[in-house]
Amino acid sequence: MTFLLRRLAFYLAAFLVAATINFFLPRMLPGDPIAIMFSSAGADLSLENLNALKLTFGFIDAPLHEQYLAYLQSVFTGDLGRSIKYFPLPVTELLGRALIWTLGLMGIATVISFTLGSFLGVFAAWRRGRLVDSVISLGAIFSSSVPAVVVSLIMLFVFGYTLRWFPNGYAANPLLDPAWNWQYISSVLYHGTLPMLTLVFVLTGGFAVTMRNNMINLLGEDYIVMARAKGLSDNNVMLWYAARNALLPTVSSLAIAIGTILGGSLVTEVVFNYPGLGNTLYQAIIARDYPVIQGQLLIMTAAMLISNFVVDLSYVLLDPRLKKA
Amino acid sequence: MKLLSQLLHNKKALVGLIILTIIVLVAIFAPLLTEYSPTRRVGRPHQAPSWDHWLGTTRLGHDVFARLVHGARVSLAVGFGAGLLITVIGTVLGIIAGYKGGVVDEIINFFTNMVLVIPNLPLLLVLAAFIGQASPLVIAIILGFTSWAWGVRVTRSETLSIRQRDFVKSAEMLGEPSWRIMLFEIFPNLISIVGINFIGSVIFAVITEATLEFLGLGDPNTVSWGIMLYNAQNSAALSVGAWWDLLSPCFALAFLGLGLALLNFAIDEIANPRLRTGGMLNRWTRMVRIGEGKL
Repeated sequence: MTFLLRRLAFYLAAFLVAATINFFLPRMLPGDPIAIMFSSAGADLSLENLNALKLTFGFIDAPLHEQYLAYLQSVFTGDLGRSIKYFPLPVTELLGRALIWTLGLMGIATVISFTLGSFLGVFAAWRRGRLVDSVISLGAIFSSSVPAVVVSLIMLFVFGYTLRWFPNGYAANPLLDPAWNWQYISSVLYHGTLPMLTLVFVLTGGFAVTMRNNMINLLGEDYIVMARAKGLSDNNVMLWYAARNALLPTVSSLAIAIGTILGGSLVTEVVFNYPGLGNTLYQAIIARDYPVIQGQLLIMTAAMLISNFVVDLSYVLLDPRLKKA
Repeated sequence: MKLLSQLLHNKKALVGLIILTIIVLVAIFAPLLTEYSPTRRVGRPHQAPSWDHWLGTTRLGHDVFARLVHGARVSLAVGFGAGLLITVIGTVLGIIAGYKGGVVDEIINFFTNMVLVIPNLPLLLVLAAFIGQASPLVIAIILGFTSWAWGVRVTRSETLSIRQRDFVKSAEMLGEPSWRIMLFEIFPNLISIVGINFIGSVIFAVITEATLEFLGLGDPNTVSWGIMLYNAQNSAALSVGAWWDLLSPCFALAFLGLGLALLNFAIDEIANPRLRTGGMLNRWTRMVRIGEGKL
């Protein structure tokens, strides 16, 4: 229990750091921070609205520390300001809508690639030095070294534009209304296939390598030899003695990988014009919509911290020693 | 030197080195490889590859091949520059934290863990967006100062175990100053980790620079692979059928990534005597670079 509480406190501190970066960045740059933050609005913003925005971001007539507290207050009350491009849409609402698509895409891709990668890694380690191992390892090296943006673009070119197997953008057929019917859901699946395949391709290699390395390190352990000496079947030893223990560090590497997965999915969404966070962010960058750009850092950080916490929880379940600690 | 000769006997390392050498040579001799300037309009927009323009032209009529070979310079410079910065910061902090222990360790370790849980790309996006149009140099610098955490973590944990060895103990008994111990006793034993960290960071920097530029945060006047991707995407190269415009930088990035990754895995194999045949296993690469290696 104290373990989890300590982690929670730590995550809170990390979130505070992200918010602090957001606060100081515009103030540290040369020039007028208010002008920088809201310049892209031009004359569209009425004085009243501008003042409300200034208040949200802590631009008040007060010493710096009071400004900082004002900003923190808006962040922790869930007020991330309003998008300048889509004024008066609140940033949280804009990003919240997009977040659902990103989480869906990312979540499913992570589960698939983690499972697939772990199995490939276990298999490669079990047959290390053989042909299967070389094929898997080389494939994994390749998959983990090619940028997501490159994979997305090549996928889009081959399957979207050349073979025309899959659509080139959007999360669903824009003519359909979102609803819980098969027509809409199948459209979502159809449109999600290419981005999903891209992410799975990009992520699987890393998981496979991690799992393989952990496995090989474990295969020399005494209890593996013991299990074999008992006459247990190969599959039994491989899955229940070696793989099970090798999974532990792999799960902790998953926590660190979440940032990468987020990044990968951002780029993939931009390429496939998928309406998730990545694409929203891309539009915000083009329009220099700073409240949105800042808001995404906080939301992404929160997403990352929550997933880290989930990993912590699963770690406690996987490793009974931590329960007592 | 031992590392180098081992590298030359490793098939993966050899292929990786060859790929890297080709790209470095292309970057160095870029002006000799093409008669065209990468920033001049030398043809009609979106011409298909031909004898005159090996990889066709962009929408603005720039020669794609000329941009590709000149762009290699920027990608390599940012990759190796930022990679070096990341590695130096990571190694120095990691050794100090691991060797000094105590409060120093706790402080460094706390910040390292903190940086590790703040997602890297979103942070870079905010930094780059406020900077405006980030030049390759600026990108390299912000990469260097935001991405060192993984290096600290691995270096620190390895330093912790080396610190317990006899030769470190005896150096301490002899009264060697701690900077000397860290530099001459511990650092040489970390060389393979530092190598893995360095190459992993280079891969990361190359990919991230391309990603930031692709997302429109780079300086559009730069000639680099990321800006090529950005321009191709913005001129809807795929929908008008100008695949050469987009795929050329794609393959260049994939080629460079592959070369570096092969090299990295080879160092990993060499560093780990436990199961040489299968290789590439080791304690500290539990997390390999999936943590930070790519986006």
